[in-house]
Amino acid sequence: MKKAFLFFVLILTLGIARAQTDTTATDSAMNMLNEGEKEESVIATFKASRLIYSQTTETVKKNNLNFLVIHRFGDIGGSDGGSSTLWGLDNSSDIYIGFEYGISDKLDVQFGRSKFEQMLELGLKYAILKQTADNSKPFALTVAGKMGLKPYKVTTEVFDDYTNRLSYMAQAIIARKFSSRFSLQISPTFIRNNLPFPFIEGNEQQFFALSAAARYKFTKRMGIVVDYSHPFSSFRQNSNSPKFYDPLAVGIEIETGGHVFTIDFANAKAISELNYLSDTESSWGKGQFRFGFTISRMFSFGPNKRNKDKSNY
Amino acid sequence: MKHLLVIIALVAGLIKDDAPAGLYACKNVRITLYSSAPLEDIEAESNAGKSVFNPATGELAFNVAIRSFKFPKSLMQEHFNENYMESDKYPQASFRGKINEKIDVNANGSFPVTVSGVLDVHGVKQNRTVKGTVNVNNGSVSMSSEFMVRCADHNIEIPKLVFKKIAETIKMTVSATYSPLNNQAK
Repeated sequence: MKKAFLFFVLILTLGIARAQTDTTATDSAMNMLNEGEKEESVIATFKASRLIYSQTTETVKKNNLNFLVIHRFGDIGGSDGGSSTLWGLDNSSDIYIGFEYGISDKLDVQFGRSKFEQMLELGLKYAILKQTADNSKPFALTVAGKMGLKPYKVTTEVFDDYTNRLSYMAQAIIARKFSSRFSLQISPTFIRNNLPFPFIEGNEQQFFALSAAARYKFTKRMGIVVDYSHPFSSFRQNSNSPKFYDPLAVGIEIETGGHVFTIDFANAKAISELNYLSDTESSWGKGQFRFGFTISRMFSFGPNKRNKDKSNY
Repeated sequence: MKHLLVIIALVAGLIKDDAPAGLYACKNVRITLYSSAPLEDIEAESNAGKSVFNPATGELAFNVAIRSFKFPKSLMQEHFNENYMESDKYPQASFRGKINEKIDVNANGSFPVTVSGVLDVHGVKQNRTVKGTVNVNNGSVSMSSEFMVRCADHNIEIPKLVFKKIAETIKMTVSATYSPLNNQAK
């Protein structure tokens, strides 16, 4: 019985080997042609250049323009929230309108304006490293820098020296796409406010912060996003009046072709890193969190022979 | 598993040694796709397809990396890979088949042919017979073909939201110019 079985297996193996040799002349030649193909980089770690607060490792590609409208409403709960303000929808803590243009596939330039502190900002973002599928580069690295200007009288009267109106941010963003569903990034950030912001005695002009953000897609075009930051500032840690809190936001991201929408809840009022890392005084625990959304719309201005009379993607 | 790899390597090595002379290959097959929908025409192109042709048996094989398709708009290219083709899971599309007519690579001329085989796109295999043309000109062989691929046949979902922008049936064109494989070695 055993022998018969072995014999059967032998015959079967030979048969398979034979069948293989029938077809693999072409296949092996094909394998030869495919040898030495360069390893592909990982794309679409994130769907947009922003998660909720944080910039992602994605840059706007060459000749594309990303138009951003970001909105944060008023406190849902606490003394400023409740039904009298329709849970914050009557108020806007911050509105950001931004443009990001791709100079090359790796470099984009950004311009934006916030309601918060009426700040204008100009920035650059450069993708240094791309994650590769073979993990020879296990993560992507992008650096971003921006400068903020407060052109008007805002919370303080002490803009006697013009340079006091300026703030700076330098950031490294490190991201890994663990699977097509899950991506995670951390971004060490340096903030410098020429005039300490908020302008309170003892506040530092500059400090470091660390942000962590993640996305989990539950369908191809929809995902949950989480975004958290912690400023390493002894002033903010110890201050009791006002008290400072770490920005934390959760949201849902929806992609529809050329648009990416984010609907979120966040405690930080401000949208620009220069503002929310420096000055987040609202707490989830006190109901001081708000509804917010981001609309990110990509326009393509590249050489495009066709589609002249048809819509933009 | 390791043993299996060794065996495969050995078998592959053996076959390579007695690979029949007269194989033809092309390393830069041009493959285009064209989708015509009410709101938008989408066109993409790859010049990185690979093909092997065995005139003795009529066997014909194509491989193309999905990532090698270039779109005029980078966002389209990203969505093509990320949302439709899932190129991280299914990095290659391929065709393995046979030319039903006998091709004599020594006789000049242009011959209409039909090719039957298996088209593997997005991890879904479909038996297909497509029409094409083979041109032979003093030992140089070239082929071209145009055929349609239904997205639904390969489990490529088009969400209702964008159905006016992406056609349900994509027109593919393939063109390849072959040279004898041995001349290409190294």
